[in-house]
Amino acid sequence: MFTQNPQTAGIEALTGTYVFDLRTCNRTLAFNRFFWNMIRPEYRQAFWDDEEAAMTAAGLKDEEKALVRARDWLGIVQYGVNFFVLEKWARVVKKTNLEVYAIMRGETLEDFMQTRMVPHAR
Amino acid sequence: MARIIGGIGTSHVPTIGVAYDKGRQEDPVWAPLFDGYKPVAAWLAEQKPDVLLFFYNDHATTMFFDLYPTFALGIGERFPVADEGAGLRNLPDIRGDVEFQAHIGESLVNDEFDMTFFQSKPIDHGIASPLPLLWPHAPDWPGTVVPIAINVLQYPLPTARRCYRLGQAVRRAVESYPEDLRVVVVGTGGLSHQIHGERTGFNNTDWDMEFLETFRDDPERLTSLRHADWVRLGGAESVEQIMWLAMRGALGAEITEVHRNYYLMTTTAMTVVAYEDHPPVPAASDREPVAA
Repeated sequence: MFTQNPQTAGIEALTGTYVFDLRTCNRTLAFNRFFWNMIRPEYRQAFWDDEEAAMTAAGLKDEEKALVRARDWLGIVQYGVNFFVLEKWARVVKKTNLEVYAIMRGETLEDFMQTRMVPHAR
Repeated sequence: MARIIGGIGTSHVPTIGVAYDKGRQEDPVWAPLFDGYKPVAAWLAEQKPDVLLFFYNDHATTMFFDLYPTFALGIGERFPVADEGAGLRNLPDIRGDVEFQAHIGESLVNDEFDMTFFQSKPIDHGIASPLPLLWPHAPDWPGTVVPIAINVLQYPLPTARRCYRLGQAVRRAVESYPEDLRVVVVGTGGLSHQIHGERTGFNNTDWDMEFLETFRDDPERLTSLRHADWVRLGGAESVEQIMWLAMRGALGAEITEVHRNYYLMTTTAMTVVAYEDHPPVPAASDREPVAA
């Protein structure tokens, strides 16, 4: 039976915000671990050598593999991956955080930067 | 006895580390950030703390979600700076004082804060992003670090009030250490930002200013905010400002803000503030002889 953590009640009303809690983590631990492993050179090399083999070795489900193949950054977050392991993989596929932020908002990097205080910052 | 002589609140944006490593200190888009740290670095050089005690968070680097602690204290003479996916940074290992760390740990546990302890682990941008802007590192860091990691990633997080009380317990721990150490407490993270989901890019400068004022003058008010309040007001990842409250709990009731810099460049309101207890603790050179 689901019980609401009173500390997080109300976050569900903030569109585009996803609570990473014990339930989410329990459901997505292997997928999160796949991204976390990118802090190790041997895992980065294995990913560069053969993405499919790396995903299979990590035990990813078909749905998870499809999200990785599609580079679906927002979909991965919505699926239940914590951004702080996802950003380790961003380094491996040579995406800056600003580029990932723009993608999650559904914008080009140029359009996203026009919404920022220092639009020419990189 | 050891004394807390002041506090620092600072962002820990990883991009600060990248810009630092690339030598972009004079780059016009980055200079307002790096210049803003110079007075704090000068204040530290003048105050000469022996120890920086950090309330920070590990970004699922050193600790993974299969065993993710709520409060964890690091024990060690050396902590390597972590590889977070982009390779190693050219920084010396962070230094530690094992006797002082162990005393803090024992005091906290005896004071009913049941810490987790980690040894021989790297430390990520939660500390390593701001540290080189605060302390010089060539040829080595001028002092030691006590790292206290707080879970701000996986709900349930500790409440704001619990973090504040942890800070109060840290003050008791520091002041029960007989050696004459000068300690600055540092809370990292914030201010307003959200970096996941479609709400990415959310900022709230009005709230940031209100936070800084309330934080200085009436911190107890902030301890009643629920996590959902922080997320609504400052963006999802700004909930990490509960780590500033741990730092605030370790300072006295009355504090003076001695420096503030606020620079919202792209997605995080990058901020550094230095505080002194009021009345201030005497400078190192003014120390009175310790009575036998």
